[in-house]
Amino acid sequence: MSTKDITLTVNGETHSLTVEPRMLLIHAIREELDLTGSHIGCDTGNCGACTVVKDGEAIKSCLTFAVQADGSEIETVEGMEDHPDADGGLHPIQEGFEQEHGLQCGYCTPGMIMAGKAILDENPNPTEEEIREGISGNLCRCTGYQNIVKSIQYASDKLDENGEVAAADGGRAETDGGFTCGVENCCGGTGFDHTGGDNE
Amino acid sequence: MKPAAFDYHRPETVQAVVELLESLDDAELLAGNQSLGIVMANRLATPDHLIDLSGVDSLSGITVTDAAVEIGAMTTHRTIERSDRLAEVLPMLPEAAEQIAGPAVRNKGTIGGSIGEADPAGNYPTALAALGGTLHLRSAEGERTVPVEDYFIAYMFTDLRENEIIEAVSIPREAYPVDRTGMAFVELKRAAQTWPTVSAAGAIRVDDPGESEPTIETARIAMANAADIPLRVPDAEAVLEGEPLSAAALDEVADIVTESVTPEGEMHADREYKAEVAGEYAKRSIRTAHERAIDAADD
Ligand SMILES: Cc1cc2nc3c(=O)[nH]c(=O)nc-3n(C[C@H](O)[C@H](O)[C@H](O)COP(=O)(O)OP(=O)(O)OC[C@H]3O[C@@H](n4cnc5c(N)ncnc54)[C@H](O)[C@@H]3O)c2cc1C
Ligand code: FES
Ligand code: FES
Repeated sequence: MSTKDITLTVNGETHSLTVEPRMLLIHAIREELDLTGSHIGCDTGNCGACTVVKDGEAIKSCLTFAVQADGSEIETVEGMEDHPDADGGLHPIQEGFEQEHGLQCGYCTPGMIMAGKAILDENPNPTEEEIREGISGNLCRCTGYQNIVKSIQYASDKLDENGEVAAADGGRAETDGGFTCGVENCCGGTGFDHTGGDNE
Repeated sequence: MKPAAFDYHRPETVQAVVELLESLDDAELLAGNQSLGIVMANRLATPDHLIDLSGVDSLSGITVTDAAVEIGAMTTHRTIERSDRLAEVLPMLPEAAEQIAGPAVRNKGTIGGSIGEADPAGNYPTALAALGGTLHLRSAEGERTVPVEDYFIAYMFTDLRENEIIEAVSIPREAYPVDRTGMAFVELKRAAQTWPTVSAAGAIRVDDPGESEPTIETARIAMANAADIPLRVPDAEAVLEGEPLSAAALDEVADIVTESVTPEGEMHADREYKAEVAGEYAKRSIRTAHERAIDAADD
């Protein structure tokens, strides 16, 4: 059985792993790193429960072999509370799900939160339609989506307020509508070049 | 673990890829893994080797010249969807890309993977069947070019040989001058996760968009998920060419498309329904393409 040595930086922490090439990223995250927040619904790309953010982009971690993620930066739901935007509590997206009743059974929630993060990292003020497009690959069998959309809108508003307060403080700068997600080597905010050749 | 065991290779040049294809038994190319991952999870594919193309930088990117558009095989759906240059010169491709699944799949899935998979329901196979173009294939023996119309042979069966990689696809621009061409890719689809019930790719070039009833010089129509290959319908195109657009011609297009398709029945859509809806979607794609051709003069 062949194995590969890989490095994954998950929520800012770097891990060296020896994996079989067939190991899926979702299994590496859940079983090797014991981060069981990201869920497995279908294992075949349909449900989005396994959505994580890889190098600033939402991906389905069941359709990625761990070896394909070698050297990359991964964000999962467990990292949200440590994010600078969380300010010691829940991240505004998590708070949104709590305030707006964005979950019932919660199975889809970690994937929805990470899809929501990818939406807001790129576009801090999405329209309802843009939010719906952004979570269109994530299934929820409980909520009917309406409150999930509201939860992400809540986070968008909250992040805006925080931005204004911080700017008034001379704190975290928000210049010309630009947005910095706060994680080093993450998405680079709106400056991230999505038009060039993509070569993940 | 769900997939069967395999050895993993990540070469950095096309030359190294074709050498691996030559030397390894039972090797499969790995692009975005958004189709292969599913068939491997279900063990419908159990390759001994996967050759990951993500380390080969030369395979991604979009090049637009006056003569043609060339898209590297590893260019993702997301990049195509967001390319302003493509939106300007061949808008059907971004419109086809943006309707594939949700953003997470589009961040990883590639045009080369979609052409390699050759699903007759696939968006690019159908768009390319409509637009025409050339596939650039390479093996250890050298490059070979295959016109799109000769590439798709039967259900998920293509002219690609086992030792070949798709490097790029190129589409000549001559037939589609931007100031008098319109294109549309329309889908009937239940949800982002599902493949379309049918899709229609339409393109129209008119002689003079400033006139009240311009003559259609060229029409292109291709249908997805309506036959065992992405299906171009030349008889329907012929009805439109040489005349201004009329309601009668649109109805005739719908009838010809409904007659021409040979879809498989599905759980949510039987054959008869799909054939009928194919006609309707062909009509919608042409109507929209025509509106856009006329608007093109103002842009
Ligand atoms: C939930 C979901 C919904 C989807 N809905 C749609 C849809 O509506 N329309 C649509 O068109 N697609 C849809 N797709 C499929 C998606 O477009 C895939 O990304 C695409 O079909 C395969 O691209 P890939 O890069 O992921 O290829 P992979 O999965 O990596 O590879 C697919 C096949 O192509 C071969 N291959 C890959 N690259 C090359 C190359 N350069 N040369 C030769 N062979 C190659 C591989 O060996 C493999 O056999 C959907 C996928 C999912 C998960
Ligand atoms: S578990 Fe990955 S999409 Fe369902
Ligand atoms: S809350 Fe139950 S699946 Fe979404």
